[in-house]
Amino acid sequence: MRDFVENHEAHRDIKLLVRLLRYFKPYTGKFIWAFVLMIITTFTNMILPLASGLAIDLMADSFYSIEQKTWIVIIGALILLLVTALSILISFYQNLMLQKIGQKITDQLRVDVFNHIESLSIGQINQLPVGKLVTRATNDPGNISEMFTNTIVNLIRSILMMVIIAIIMFIIEWRMALITMVVVPLIVLATIFFRRYSRSAYRSVRNNVSEVNAFLSENLSGIKITQVFNQEEKKINEFTAINQKLKNSYFKEIYVFGIYRPIIYLLAMAATIITIYFGVQSVFSGPLSIGLFVSFYVYVGQFFEPVQQIAEQFNSLQNGFASAEKIFDVLDTKPDINDQEDALELTKFSGSIEFKDVWFSYVPGEWVLKGVSFNVSPNETVALVGATGSGKTTILQLIVRNYDIQKGQILIDGIDIKRIKRSSLRSFVGQMLQDVFLFSGTIRDNITLNNEAILQEEIVKASDYVGLDHVLNKLPEGLNHEVRERGNNFSSGERQLISFARAVVYKPTVMTLDEATANIDSETEAVIQNSLAKMMNISTMIIVAHRLSTIQHCNKILVMQKGEIIEAGTHQQLLKKKGLYFNLYQLQYEYREAL
Amino acid sequence: MILLKHFRHYYLKYGLSFLLGIAILVVIDWYQLEIPRIVKTIIDGVENQTITNVSQILESLLIVTLIVAGITIGRFLWRLLLFGNGRRIESDIRQAMFEHATKLDQNFYSREKIGGLMSYFINDLNAVRELYGFGLLMLVDGFVLGIFVLIRMFSLDWVMTLYSFIPIALMGVLVFFLELKMEQKFKLRQEAFEKASDFAQESFTGITVIKAYVREAAEALGFKKKSHDVYQKSMDHMRYAIVVNIIIDAMISIVIIAIIAFGSIMIAKGELSSGELTEYIAYFFTLLWPVFAISWFLNINGQAQASAKRIFSFLDAKPIVAEHKDVIVDAQIDGSIRFNHLTFAYPDADEPILNDISFAISAGEMIGILGKTGSGKSTLVELLLHIYNVEEGMIAFGAYDHAKLSIKTLRNSIGYVPQDNFLFSTSIRNNIGFAFQNIDEQKLLEVGKLSDIHEDIMSFKDQYETILGERGVTISGGQKQRVSIARALAKEPTILILDDSVSAVDTKTEEDIITNLRHIRKGKTTLMIAHRISTVRNLDKIVLIDQGRLAGFGTHQELLKNNSLYKEMYNLQKLEELVGEEKEHA
Repeated sequence: MRDFVENHEAHRDIKLLVRLLRYFKPYTGKFIWAFVLMIITTFTNMILPLASGLAIDLMADSFYSIEQKTWIVIIGALILLLVTALSILISFYQNLMLQKIGQKITDQLRVDVFNHIESLSIGQINQLPVGKLVTRATNDPGNISEMFTNTIVNLIRSILMMVIIAIIMFIIEWRMALITMVVVPLIVLATIFFRRYSRSAYRSVRNNVSEVNAFLSENLSGIKITQVFNQEEKKINEFTAINQKLKNSYFKEIYVFGIYRPIIYLLAMAATIITIYFGVQSVFSGPLSIGLFVSFYVYVGQFFEPVQQIAEQFNSLQNGFASAEKIFDVLDTKPDINDQEDALELTKFSGSIEFKDVWFSYVPGEWVLKGVSFNVSPNETVALVGATGSGKTTILQLIVRNYDIQKGQILIDGIDIKRIKRSSLRSFVGQMLQDVFLFSGTIRDNITLNNEAILQEEIVKASDYVGLDHVLNKLPEGLNHEVRERGNNFSSGERQLISFARAVVYKPTVMTLDEATANIDSETEAVIQNSLAKMMNISTMIIVAHRLSTIQHCNKILVMQKGEIIEAGTHQQLLKKKGLYFNLYQLQYEYREAL
Repeated sequence: MILLKHFRHYYLKYGLSFLLGIAILVVIDWYQLEIPRIVKTIIDGVENQTITNVSQILESLLIVTLIVAGITIGRFLWRLLLFGNGRRIESDIRQAMFEHATKLDQNFYSREKIGGLMSYFINDLNAVRELYGFGLLMLVDGFVLGIFVLIRMFSLDWVMTLYSFIPIALMGVLVFFLELKMEQKFKLRQEAFEKASDFAQESFTGITVIKAYVREAAEALGFKKKSHDVYQKSMDHMRYAIVVNIIIDAMISIVIIAIIAFGSIMIAKGELSSGELTEYIAYFFTLLWPVFAISWFLNINGQAQASAKRIFSFLDAKPIVAEHKDVIVDAQIDGSIRFNHLTFAYPDADEPILNDISFAISAGEMIGILGKTGSGKSTLVELLLHIYNVEEGMIAFGAYDHAKLSIKTLRNSIGYVPQDNFLFSTSIRNNIGFAFQNIDEQKLLEVGKLSDIHEDIMSFKDQYETILGERGVTISGGQKQRVSIARALAKEPTILILDDSVSAVDTKTEEDIITNLRHIRKGKTTLMIAHRISTVRNLDKIVLIDQGRLAGFGTHQELLKNNSLYKEMYNLQKLEELVGEEKEHA
């Protein structure tokens, strides 16, 4: 996934809009309906100035008596109240509907992004900081729905208001309406001007804010160095400069808005003054009554209000588009490991694994495995040993096809691994990772991974089998004990046991274990060794081993160094060779344990 | 409320522009209410036929034009003054905060997370600035305009005013309480959102396990549930928000209809003129803004108070590491150091990390400090730099007690190469020359060569102008170490401390650097912390630290013969070389 780079092409925005609109397709009907309702409510909202104008004219009319006039007014008022009440109900319904659509689409976007990220390979996911991924799935969809349900809706409402008011003004007195509209092109011009400056001011503010934040983040982390080198003065001067720059760009923003809004006010009032002049003239020359003049006067005031809002809403659209781009970046990234179209579904996995001259690198050019060949027979237990970085953990990753190899072949029960459906392969392999990741929830949840298909008896059986009951018995709630803070309240040994239970309960035929290197208390150590021995009996096992006790139980030991298998054999055979294994044995087992 | 003691300083500093801005605001508020009155006279004039010709209203229109022009300029001015002040104060506080940050010591920074500090600078400062700029405007404008409008409305017709003001005031109160409820709903929505976020976070972090057990579908379902919950809580909140808006709209409409109705009847009875009704309606619309402004203000004020508290408690934090009251300023440091039963515990720790350490280093010696991870060796040198306070009498530089020495003088005499090789996001030149305003060109190249980094730098496109860090080039760990060494060497310090500084370079480079050091550091003290004997075996003396205590002190030969701990380390490390274990990377 590449980084988002700000780009100001308008047609890019339109492309995004089109893609986003596809999410609205299922709701088109409702949208149109909401739109129609919005027209109605906006219209009814606009009646009041007209009503007051008519009332004024009515009062001046000598045809009716005061009593009659009073009754007409009261009835008129009641009608208006009724219309208002109706309008309010419709408005509530219409608003709710729009918001619902917006929220539903946000929901859909969140789920789509989340699912898509999960479908990517582990390598792809690990390339980005988790925080960024989470933002894509949670914040960005929210920004987009904001854009639609608030910004765009208000934009449309503002435009509607302006159009309706214009229509009413034309109906009342078209000549005056025309004159009043003279101001509109000026406002449009001012707004276009404003947009350019406000965008540049906004961009300048954002850039300077990032600079200040980057400076702070770096220098708060590096305060020690600054102090040790006596350079506090220098850093303060540097900060003063960028702080000043930021203040200046804020002032630029203040100037832009400080000029724009009053100018719109000026233009709007200019239109009002023009209205008064020509309105009065119209009253004298005939066509306009005083009442309607008053209505017109109020309308002019209301006409120019939406104008400012429109200009500013265009700016907030930018936020929405920025989020849309980020989301589509994610959705457009294709998972780089895919099952073939005719991938096989394994019905069983007896445990026969063969690596044929396998070459693998995470990063092009930096080979982690160089021509590795070995095989594992069903029910065998194989240990991988070697110094850190020799490639042992990588082999475990490749067996479950977390990554694709560049050269060579991996055979699973004689079938090329690339032809097998990954999910079916993994369903037969119980993986016990070195860093046991525990989720928030109960111990039970962590064993079953929230799989409700696993019965309570099976969980208890698995726990007992691996010796987890030793741990559970010490806890008051046992299996229901809460795991918090990623399980930091459990010791390394206890976590290992939980991962054993997790593996066993899924009834695998093959197990991989990446032994924890951290120190484990001797009591738990004994339990672990016991469980391991039992598990070795029920399945084929491949272990990246760090403990002498583990290795001694294995049928075959593969010794690795810098991506190659240097020695292979049983524990006794390898000791006799007095080669790499012998040295490793002394180093890791004799010396370390003695110290 | 707003008058916290810290703010007083800013009130005084910008008092004049504040007062000017508020004065302009008040004047504008008064005059903008003249316009409806003038329009009223025009309308009445036309109605009563006292105005029969359009030219008669020209004078009034001219006055209106002048008022509008004045208001336009005034609005620009108060924006500049009031919003400007908001930004000025924000900038001042930000500056004060950073300056204060440079004075705080590691006692503070080990407690606080960078993320938390950043949020003071960003979120909290924003909230405070909003209060000063926008918030203040709304408070003043709201009250002033509100009062002016009410006065005029009362003078026109006090009965109608009462009838229209009371419902509006009630609406204001109702809205206030509804907004409290709305805030609760919003909080619930936020919580649901955080839960969904946390779920996604866990899911992506544990993706290996999820894929291992083929639980992608289950995770998807789980997230779907959480996302749907956000949807529901959002809609709950929305419903409230919409209802609040509806109530406001409804109240306003009802009152206007009432005004029109009563006003019309009054016109019919001759108690009110058409012009006056128009004026009244205009005033009513003007009244709405203050009502919203004040409730808006109360909202902003709440947030700002909490933020202001946080910022000022930060500014009030006092550094613990500070100059001694009898500080010796003009000391000459010769490079000899003596540790005298040094015992030290970190401020929040129960157990001391260094225990009863005593040994002495003569000026000009090259000493290696050896020990396992966590043995306390880095702490030892951090104390030399006076990063934490040490009791008097425990460390001495020559004839001076370390605690009494001026911290500045001390740090000027010591060149430090830190374990994490922290470099700044600036050019290599500025990094190496960090201790200087403008480092001498010749010295720059010289230390580059001595640190064995010069050739690497020359191979970069921009050579010494290459920018490092996030926005620049990423250099390898070994290269970082060598730049860091050059930075310290440039100071030509009396005492040079290297903390684990050659761990990321290969053996040959390590040898070259040590040879160079030995050559140019003749007569100057050098301390090298390492965890490999191969690094320190040829230095003048070796200090062996084990679990915070001095476990050995002597030459390599002496220790190998007499010290069992040293001997075991030596053997272990030899085996590691045989097996080809990767070096521990810095």
